Formats: sequence, structure tokens, C-alpha cells
Amino acid sequence: MQWFDALVQGVLLGGMYAQYALGMALMFGVMRIVNVSHGDLVILLSLIGISLASSFGFGPVTVMVALVPLAVILGWLLQKAILNRVVGDDPLPSLIATFGLSLALQNLMLQIWSANSRSLPGGGIESKSIQIGGIYIGLLPVIVLAFAIGLTFALDLMLKRSRFGRALRAAAADVEAASMTGINPRRVYAAATAIAVGILGFAAVFQSLRSTVAPADGGAQLIYAFEAVIIGGMGSVWGAFIGSMVLGISQAIGFRIDPGFGVLAGHLVFLLVLATRPQGLFGKG
Amino acid sequence: MTSIPISPASAAPAVTVRRQTTSGRIALTLFAIAILALALMPWWAKTGTIRMVLELCCYIAVAQMWNMLAGYAGLVSVGQQAFMGAAGYAMFVLAQTFGVNPFLAIALSLVVPAVLAVPCYFLLHRLDGPYFAIGTWVVAEVFRLVSTNLGWVNAGAGMSLTVMKDYSAFQRNIAMSLLCAVMILLTIGGSYWFLRSRYGLALIAMRDNPVAAASQGVNVKRLRFMIYVAAAVGCGLAGSVYFMAQLRINPASAFDPMWSNLAIFIVMVGGIASIEGVLIGTAIYFVADRWFGAYGASYFVVLGVMTVLVALYARTGIWGLVSRRWDAPWFPIRRHLILKTEEKP
Repeated sequence: MQWFDALVQGVLLGGMYAQYALGMALMFGVMRIVNVSHGDLVILLSLIGISLASSFGFGPVTVMVALVPLAVILGWLLQKAILNRVVGDDPLPSLIATFGLSLALQNLMLQIWSANSRSLPGGGIESKSIQIGGIYIGLLPVIVLAFAIGLTFALDLMLKRSRFGRALRAAAADVEAASMTGINPRRVYAAATAIAVGILGFAAVFQSLRSTVAPADGGAQLIYAFEAVIIGGMGSVWGAFIGSMVLGISQAIGFRIDPGFGVLAGHLVFLLVLATRPQGLFGKG
Repeated sequence: MTSIPISPASAAPAVTVRRQTTSGRIALTLFAIAILALALMPWWAKTGTIRMVLELCCYIAVAQMWNMLAGYAGLVSVGQQAFMGAAGYAMFVLAQTFGVNPFLAIALSLVVPAVLAVPCYFLLHRLDGPYFAIGTWVVAEVFRLVSTNLGWVNAGAGMSLTVMKDYSAFQRNIAMSLLCAVMILLTIGGSYWFLRSRYGLALIAMRDNPVAAASQGVNVKRLRFMIYVAAAVGCGLAGSVYFMAQLRINPASAFDPMWSNLAIFIVMVGGIASIEGVLIGTAIYFVADRWFGAYGASYFVVLGVMTVLVALYARTGIWGLVSRRWDAPWFPIRRHLILKTEEKP
């Protein structure tokens, strides 16, 4: 029972990680860019949300309504101001640019919000739980998981069915061929980054409701998102979702074995996948 | 079409290869003087100065190792602190737990990063480009978490190097100075020697185009592996020396991602793929750290923005801009073909 409980909690934790991983899978799948400031953007959005909540008395839903459009704009600006200039065959410029951005953002947040951990007051929702067959399941983690599934489903559908999704996949496969058929790759890239960062708007609200955030936490979020994408297999939205589940379950079981072993267990499973199946669980090839 | 005669061997144009320049000779002399000055520090500097110089030397060493990885081998790592911490811990365990002479322990501790680098590389080389970078970060995190859980390195609380009490302050100063000199000689001098060797030629070819280099017979895979292990040992040396001077080590300081931040800043702003760039970048970082460090971490915002600007507008960094204007390299690694002029009528 104890291990089944760990499994359930792991799946719920995976729901949180999936919300970081989806954006990263989208950006890497389309532009071959790894945005090193990915985690810092989650933290930035979380801290803005917390400040909104404390100064205007917004509830979590209102914060989300305000934060997601803000995240979309932030993503679009990121693409226009920085990423469009560094996207290309050489991965170094984009890596260095987003690395510099991460360094600047982290220390800027430290100046504005100090190093303290904060969280978003959820009006009691964060402590509600339901009991099913001897296992207590938090209501909030279930909502997080439901949102993660919904976002994955919507993103997958958008990539496969919509006109924009086709343009996105065409640009990912061959930028030059895509632009010959009338697709503007820069506009496609800007939209992809806007969506990727927009998803982080949801992640930011849930992260700050579920636990605490501090300016220095971005690195850990980046690593979890990255591990989920690699475990699942690059270039697949559902792969990133399943990768998040594997990571969440590994960490939850690790925590049960020894509290100091939880995060490490996640890293070890990641390295194991890398050693035995480098293309990821659902990757092609 | 007649100007280039395809001639038999006897009429081959007489050429000489010029590899050293006046600026290079001057810089090499200054470098030798600097190494000597580092080694003789106990006779001209106070302990505080020696410690400061030691820190500076560690920055140079780590940045130059990152430069070899990212600038030449195309391996962008943000996890070199893994090897610094591993060597630092190895040095503490040898000296403190097993009572090995601390200075011998530094040399022995370098085996650890060399041995650890091999499996790390075989796992990570499967990831390309940006994914390799974050993979190295995961490895550094694994090292940190493992050391946090290991009882025999005192877990999260860390270790102190109390055996250093057996040595007088002057003896310790001599050791720190000699270690600084050796570290700079090995990392900067070693890189320069390597880049001027046959391997250096292969490395430069690989930097410009790995596929073309492979087609010319360069063993790209083996060269990358060699650079990765060498960089791990170089960072390990910096780690051992740094933590010996600190007298304390704990998981958070040993595997601090700050080292990657500063290596990337130094190399990118100073100028990637040049030793000159590392020296310029270190000077900028060190001055910024001394002048603005007192006002909190806000200067890191400026350093971050500078890194972004370099990536956007000046990929070759400050040294790239300088060398476009003046062709006076301090560490020349190019080969100039000089045609003998006596054949001219």
C-alpha cells in the first residue's frame, strides 16, 4: 500500500513536471533551441502572480487569467528580441544568450523579491484532500494533473490538426522548404515560443500554489523539464508527458526509500534511460 | 592560369612556415615572468594578496578549460563544477581522513576527475548541442546529491582541512604560490602547447567544421574525448587548489553552478576560442567582482546582460573585436606560409 501510495503521488507530481516539460518539448522540437531561462521564467511569472495576489487581493483563478496572457506576451518578446537572432545550426549562440538571460533574470528577481521563499494563497484549496481506498489524494495535485493532461491533449491536437500546427511541423522539418511554401518561419517561431511560455503561465500558478518559490529555484525546474523531455523522447508531446510521469514516480518512490534520495533517484533514472535508450522511451530510431 | 606552375619536386616553391610573431615573443616573455612572479609570491606579497591571486588563477584555469571544451571541441558544458568538487573532496578525504601529505594529495586527487570523466562522457556524448550542456548540469547535480548523502564525507555538513595546522603560514604561502604557478603553467601553457601541436591543428580544423575535419583524417570522436578528460582534470586541479586554500568544503560550495556561470561569462565576453580572451574576460570579471561585489549580487544582472549582448551582436567577444583591428596575437597558433622572395627577378 505504501508503494502504491508513492506511485499515485508520483503521478500527481508528474502532472506538475509535465507543465514545465511541454513548453520545452515544443521549443526544442520546432527550433532546436533549449531555453536555459525556462525555469527562471516560471519563477518570474510565479513571483509576479504572488505580488498581484498580495497587492490586489486576487484569487488563484484571477491570477491565472492575468498571468497566462502575460506569459504569452513575454514569450513573444523573448523570441523577437533574442531568440530570432540566435536560432540557427550552431547551438552555442542560443545557449549562451538564454544562459545570460537566466543569470540576469535570477539576480534581478533576487533584487526585487529578495531570496525568501513565497507561495500563493489558494483560499484553502491547497489543503483539501479526498480519500480513496485508504489513500489521501490532494485536490490541488489532481487539478494540476487534469490541467497537464488537458494541455498535452490540446497541444498534440494543435500540432497534428491545425493549419498553424502544420506550419510549425513544416518549419521544424526544413526551414528553407517551409519558407518556399509561403510559411514565415520567424512568425511561426514567435508563436511557438509564445505558446511554450504561455503554458508556463499555468505552471507558475500551480507551482506557487503547490509549494513555495524563490528566485534561485529556476535551475531545478529547468533540469526536471529537461529530464522529462529526454526520458520521454524528443519531438513528441505525449513523450514529454510520459517522461514527466516517469520522473515524478521515480522521485516519489525515491523519497519513500530515503528523503535525501528523492531528487537523486529522478536523476539516476534519467541517466539510466540515457545509457540504455538514448532516443527516449517514445523516441523514434 | 600560368601564375601557379604545377612543377616537379625540384622546382617546388621554397617556403618557410612562420609560427611565432613579435607580439607572441613579447607575450611569451611576459608569461614566463608572470609564472616566475607567481612562484615567488611569498617573498613579495602578503597572505591576503596570495589568496586573492590564487582565486584569480582558479578563474583563469576553469575558464580556459571551458574555452577548450566549448571553443574548440564544440562541447558546451555547464557542469564542470562536478569535477572541481570531486577532486576537492578527493583531496580532503586523502589529506584529512587518510593523513596523506596535503600537497601530495592534490596531485593524487586528480585521478578522481580523470576516472569519473570517462563514464560521464560515454553517457553524455549521446546528447547533442544544447542537450549535452544540460546533461552535464544533471551530472554535477548527481555528484552534489551523492556527496550530500555520503556519510564518510560528512554528508551535507562538509569537511574541514584541519591538518593544515601542521604547517606554518610561510610554508602554506609557498605551497599556494607554487600551486598557482603550476596551475597556470599547466592550463594556459599546456593549452598553448597543445594548440600549437599536431593535435592543435586537428582541433582548429574540427572547430571550423567537424565533418570536413573528419574527412581529412582527424579522429573527431577521440579528440573530443581527450579534450573532455583533460578539461575534467584541469578543473579538478583548480578545485583541489581552491578548496585547499579555503580549508573547508561542503556539497553546496563544491558543486556550485557559479563556476560555470563565471567560466561562460569570462570566455564569451573575453572572446571564445582564444587564450587572450580568457585573460581579458578574467580581468573584467575580477575587477567587477572586487568593485561591485560589495553592493550585492546586482552586478550579476549586468554580467548576464553583457553575455546576452555578446551572443547577439559580437560572437567573438572583446578579443575578437580587438584582433580584427590589430593583428598582434599574444599566443599565436596560426601557421603563416612565407614564400621565399629570392626567386623573384
